[in-house]
Amino acid sequence: MNAIKSSLYRRLPSLMVYRSVTTKKKIPDPDEEEQLPIFKYPVSKSSDRRVYVWGMAETGALGIHLPGRGKRGKKSYRNDFSLVWFPMRSSFCERFDVTQIACGYGFTVAAVKTDEQHKLFGTGINTDSQIGYHAPRIGHPLELLLSPAPIYIPYKSLETKITGLAAGRAHTVILTDNEGVYTLGNNAYGQCGRKINPKEEYRGSMVSYNIKRLGKENINYVCCGQDHTLFITESGRVYACGWGADGQTGLGTYDNQDIPAPVQGDITSEKIVKVTSTVDCVLAINDKGELFGWGNSEYGQIPMTSKCDQVNKSYALVNFTRGLGKIVDIAAGGSFCLIVNDQGDVFVWGFGLLGLGPNVQHSTNPKQIPPALFGRNEFNPESAVQKVACGIGHLAAVTNNGDLYTWGRNRHGCLGLGHTKDQHFPLKVSIGAHVLDVKCSVDHTIAYCKPFV
Amino acid sequence: MDKLQLTLAIIKPHAVKNPIAVSYIRNILKRKFVIVKTKRIFLNTVEAGNFYKEHEGKFFYNRLVTFMASGCIDLHVIGHTNAIELWRRMLGPTKVYKAQYQDPNSLRGMFGISDTRNVAHGSDSTSSAEREIKFFFPDFSFYDWYNNDEIRYRKGPIIFNHYLFQHVRKL
Repeated sequence: MNAIKSSLYRRLPSLMVYRSVTTKKKIPDPDEEEQLPIFKYPVSKSSDRRVYVWGMAETGALGIHLPGRGKRGKKSYRNDFSLVWFPMRSSFCERFDVTQIACGYGFTVAAVKTDEQHKLFGTGINTDSQIGYHAPRIGHPLELLLSPAPIYIPYKSLETKITGLAAGRAHTVILTDNEGVYTLGNNAYGQCGRKINPKEEYRGSMVSYNIKRLGKENINYVCCGQDHTLFITESGRVYACGWGADGQTGLGTYDNQDIPAPVQGDITSEKIVKVTSTVDCVLAINDKGELFGWGNSEYGQIPMTSKCDQVNKSYALVNFTRGLGKIVDIAAGGSFCLIVNDQGDVFVWGFGLLGLGPNVQHSTNPKQIPPALFGRNEFNPESAVQKVACGIGHLAAVTNNGDLYTWGRNRHGCLGLGHTKDQHFPLKVSIGAHVLDVKCSVDHTIAYCKPFV
Repeated sequence: MDKLQLTLAIIKPHAVKNPIAVSYIRNILKRKFVIVKTKRIFLNTVEAGNFYKEHEGKFFYNRLVTFMASGCIDLHVIGHTNAIELWRRMLGPTKVYKAQYQDPNSLRGMFGISDTRNVAHGSDSTSSAEREIKFFFPDFSFYDWYNNDEIRYRKGPIIFNHYLFQHVRKL
């Protein structure tokens, strides 16, 4: 009996091998073409955004987290590369609608369009809790995050929207539409706008501080230097807090300032629209496009009539920039300044690789970088630079055609040009999207883009 | 063989807060020097002012003192036959904005942020190294060390202790 059964089983598969194959010619159906599904390349929405990141990847600030290769267990990550020297598309920003982004020293924060609690994500160095409290076990906070994690902030209402972000060396400032400003991270100099406690432990701290309004006015704009913070209110007044040893708070002293106070000097009567700072030098423009500056001036960034290395009050640079036209965007690097006027002409002064030639040089007067280097030529006479940004040694400019140009010191590949050599003149970065904005940090850069199609 | 020279390496607050910079600097220290003592401390403004007394009156004095008092600093007493010069050469020029072009692969060129936040401090001469080590390690006796321990750190047997981050006698 068993023998018969087994022989039956053995024969069964062989039965299935024989199949009838038709040799009849297929007559094409006349309606077939209409029935076929139409495949179309996806067209992006006008609200779609892409984010490209490059630079130092070891800190986790790029938030690039690739799946493991081969069979190396569940926890094999492929983000063991130390630097990324060409623009890489951030997968995090594909999954969320990123509205704001900011980069600090070795970390990145991004605001997401949502009505839920987690509106803000951070990645990178977290030794001062600048991107919130993240602990896999109680009492063991993470000092380094390799991929973005949500940051808890005690919003009063979940409808609150984040309208601005800024990040310094070890602190983050979050501007919301109707709850004022939240600050996170290191407060050793008072850069979070609260009282300095010299014994405070910042590692694994869960503190966030809310500054509702300044001088009975809402806050419109925030900006961070490495260790200080600047706020602009509705009426265009500038408030500052944090490290003032170079005069970067502009309060007329060289002391640390814990509670934000209005900046003294020439800007008190002006309506300021933008203020910028990367390290210790601060530039500001008012609604008429006039330039003001204060802070560190060791390399002649804030040229005063009397030689002064630390300018502790805001100072009008109207005479200095006479004849340059209306200034529309500004950027202050570590040892140089970069401005762009309404014609799209870029001017630079200070010390460093300024983009004017192969040598490191010192320029006391604003010098124009030839517009041909930014793509303005006979075939493209409309091309104009619209936005500029600075790291401590590298510079970046965005044109109205959505092209990004970078030059300067190429620390850890932060120029995105595919190598780590210094770049002496502006060169276009190959990004497959229309660049809208660029954010520079000490050793990484982020481009906020719109898809081409 | 020459005797070991001691110098003090101070890793400044902004570099201590960057785990990547710390691991890079520690790797270099471990590989090139013998590490005699290691300590992580928090300076207050008064102590930092005393340490940088020689710079008092210069325009950057206040900024240096407030910076050094802003966070933890790592102190390493390191030894090498040419420790002072070797450590200063590895650090690169004092001013970061110049170092990043003159010597881009020095520690300051790689991890410095500004002329004050220049990664680390190194003693500039034998006498200042002695003064600075005495300042942070008051019970460290140069006389005893050179008479009793120097030969062991030079010829062994020593082993590196990762927990203490210093070389210790191999038992």
